[in-house]
Amino acid sequence: MATLPAVSTNESAGRRWLPLVALIIVVLALAGAAEFAPIVMQRRITQGLINLVAVVGLYVFVGNSGVLSFGNVAFMAIGAYVSALLTMPAAAKGVFLPDLPAFLAAAEWPVLGGALAGGASAALVALVAGFPLMRLSGISASIATFAILVVTYVVLGNWTSVTGGQNSLMGLPIYVGLWTSAGWAVAAIVIAFLHQESRSGLLLRASREDEVAAVASGVHMVLHRLMAFVVSAFLSGISGVLLAHFLGTVRVETFYLDLTFLIMAMLVIGGMRSLTGAVAGAIVITALTELMRQAEVGVTIGTTTLAAPGGLGDVLLALLMLLIILFRPDGIAGGREISWPFRSSVAAPEIQSRKPQ
Amino acid sequence: MIGQAVQVLVDAVSVGGLYALTALGIGLIFGVMRLINFAHAQLIMIAGYAVLLFFAQSAVLAVLGAVAGAVLLALVVERMAFRPLRGADPATLLIASFAVSFLIEKMMIMLVGSRPKGVDFLPMLAGQVEIAGVRLQLLQLVTILVSVVLLVATTWFLKSTRLGLEMRAAAENFRMAEVLGIRANRVIASAFAISGLLAAAVACLFVAQTGLVQPRMGLQLVIIAFVGTVIGGLGSLPGAAFGGFLVGVATILLEALLPPELRVFREAFLFVGVAVVLIFRPQGLIPARGLAGRI
Amino acid sequence: MTVPRDLTSPGGRLVELGGLVIRYGAIAAVQGVDLAIDAGEAVAIVGPNGAGKTSLLSAIAGIVRPSAGSIRIAGRPLAGIALSDVVREGVALVPEGRNIFGSLTVMENLRLGATPRRDASVSADIDRVFADFPILGERRDQPAGQLSGGEQQMLAIARAMLSRPRLLMLDEPSLGLAPNIVDKVYDILRQIRSQGVSLLLVEQNAARAFALADRACVMSRGVFTLAGTPAEIERHDAFDAAYFGVAMAKAGAA
Repeated sequence: MATLPAVSTNESAGRRWLPLVALIIVVLALAGAAEFAPIVMQRRITQGLINLVAVVGLYVFVGNSGVLSFGNVAFMAIGAYVSALLTMPAAAKGVFLPDLPAFLAAAEWPVLGGALAGGASAALVALVAGFPLMRLSGISASIATFAILVVTYVVLGNWTSVTGGQNSLMGLPIYVGLWTSAGWAVAAIVIAFLHQESRSGLLLRASREDEVAAVASGVHMVLHRLMAFVVSAFLSGISGVLLAHFLGTVRVETFYLDLTFLIMAMLVIGGMRSLTGAVAGAIVITALTELMRQAEVGVTIGTTTLAAPGGLGDVLLALLMLLIILFRPDGIAGGREISWPFRSSVAAPEIQSRKPQ
Repeated sequence: MIGQAVQVLVDAVSVGGLYALTALGIGLIFGVMRLINFAHAQLIMIAGYAVLLFFAQSAVLAVLGAVAGAVLLALVVERMAFRPLRGADPATLLIASFAVSFLIEKMMIMLVGSRPKGVDFLPMLAGQVEIAGVRLQLLQLVTILVSVVLLVATTWFLKSTRLGLEMRAAAENFRMAEVLGIRANRVIASAFAISGLLAAAVACLFVAQTGLVQPRMGLQLVIIAFVGTVIGGLGSLPGAAFGGFLVGVATILLEALLPPELRVFREAFLFVGVAVVLIFRPQGLIPARGLAGRI
Repeated sequence: MTVPRDLTSPGGRLVELGGLVIRYGAIAAVQGVDLAIDAGEAVAIVGPNGAGKTSLLSAIAGIVRPSAGSIRIAGRPLAGIALSDVVREGVALVPEGRNIFGSLTVMENLRLGATPRRDASVSADIDRVFADFPILGERRDQPAGQLSGGEQQMLAIARAMLSRPRLLMLDEPSLGLAPNIVDKVYDILRQIRSQGVSLLLVEQNAARAFALADRACVMSRGVFTLAGTPAEIERHDAFDAAYFGVAMAKAGAA
């Protein structure tokens, strides 16, 4: 483990930052191109960038720790509801949530404050829940994150006085457009990159392949894992905030297994061992689902409409994910970071598998 | 008053039986493969649709169709998705299982739509019987009977047959079982077939109770039963059955005893229980011996 | 003394390793080992922790696939044999830590040992095990996890022998056992040898292994540094350096 930091120091200092710069350029180029696209397309790209924040959020924990998390959509939900409650006009809250505690009923925070509070609340929940749970070994930890998802879903769906229960909250300030989402996407990429290049991130990645050694190296691994979990929850919380203020409504049903599957599929297909994979997965799958959505609407030629059967997109997504797991387990990115557009890529900081070759 | 208590008890035991069968099906696969099979929900679902397809002809045909459908799907899933991934790390297996589960569900939604369909399966069991002055639903008694029979039969199979012995050995230490000459494919495929059989039984009873089939049926059952698998002790087969039973009974008792404003949070309590068990008693209430450190 | 490249002798050759390399990621546990074992031979491999001994046994048992080199069992390449079929080729393994099935009964453990066999004399063989080890017979219906360490080692050896192997491989059979129990274990191994079964023994306890073996190899850092008869090796100056020297250097570093 002592040899690890050498991975970064071997590269020149400038080269080390290339993946970050390249990924930011990709996001900005995408948003810039969307400026010239029709409004419907702009909305799709905005949604794609929100997905990107969610996938990068999931990546920070899963990619670095090697432990699968089902809990990140719960953090999205927490971010969405906290921001909604803090920023909704008091009048709207009076209508939908007459029983709201006074301090929440009166709150009309600025949207940025609401967003940060949403992310921070998710991070806080991750800290409190993660403190006992992050010491669990791989599969138990995954089950624990599943428990976080179900508990959050049940609580938000039934805490009627605060969340409105199964009903939608409406009247949220709709402020998330192309550049807001692009800005947060860049921020998410920067945060994720800084985390994975930090000492804590590097040590966590080293432990990913060898849990026994990680456990043997003691309590620190639990702290590094907890650190990743909290950062991951913050970004997921932010993506929930963005989604809520993009749609203008929040509904607890949004934040359950289907969204968990979508975000996870994006990460797996892109490649869950590198930040580039997370970004690539979000972009590629958003594009594919949009294509499939249009195919399901169909093309009308004369009087006949040719359309793909409804639901085909979901089937293809699940199939693609399964095929990737079976035949290209490191996804599109192959466990590597992009180094510069049109140039050869560099390997992500990585410890070799212990399995014999 | 006594009558009411007995009714609640019978209700609790019958629901407990359903969850025990489901948890055992999940626990069996976890035992031999260290795989949490989300697709168990779709085994129940496919069996439900088989009932829908055949119930009008005959109940026997519907049950046979359910068994054939679920067992076949279990074997296909094992062969196509999980066999190539044998020995992969737990996170990969978990993702694969999640993907398989979604794939089957979404295919079903594409093929038949997501709307529930009514099934009047085993209407003769809808009646009530009076035993010692207590009126009980016939279907609940049948559910208890079927659960007991299947739990006993599975136990007998595991305890008294060569294949069952190999399955228990593989559940405890798969690698060593192979070193001794036990063929992994045979053991794992058999475990999947049995889990399919258990899923089919659950589906038949569940459809008879609810009168509905839909592509997402089974999901809720599996999520709750999974709680039982964890609480009973991952990798422990008696633990899974007992944990499932306990969770089923607990849901009914919580339903009956909790004040209404807390009743809706029932599942949250169950999953907090999961987290607590994982932290303080990770080997479960009935631990599998020799599994320490392997989960 | 340099390592002889050819350790083979005429006669029925059971196992033949050629240029065996086993890598775990960047770490090479075994870096080019040649070894041949003939019918009826007892071979000991000694060496410090981390020398690659267990990896070597695991490769012959089919558990670990070599990164390079070849393994032949009775002339057949192991590469084409499934893990569960290696025992059917006559190679049985008693792994380090014994790996008995703790939740299964003693009887069930023994029945599993006979998995490859289809003949009718399995229960007679199990009865013989109970006659040789009365304690196992007394506890035949108890979970094997309740046996003492020594009893578990007897069970593990008996279980492996029930497959009627031509080669029995043992990984650290004396590990964690009291000296009088180790005596018993080695008595059993001597008996097994007298039945014509070949032995491949990995030990840190070199003295014990040497007393039993026809030939011995000292392994260090993935290669054989010495090979010959136990007497030759014990006499050799390099033995202390190769074996205890490394062990002590390690102990000093830890």
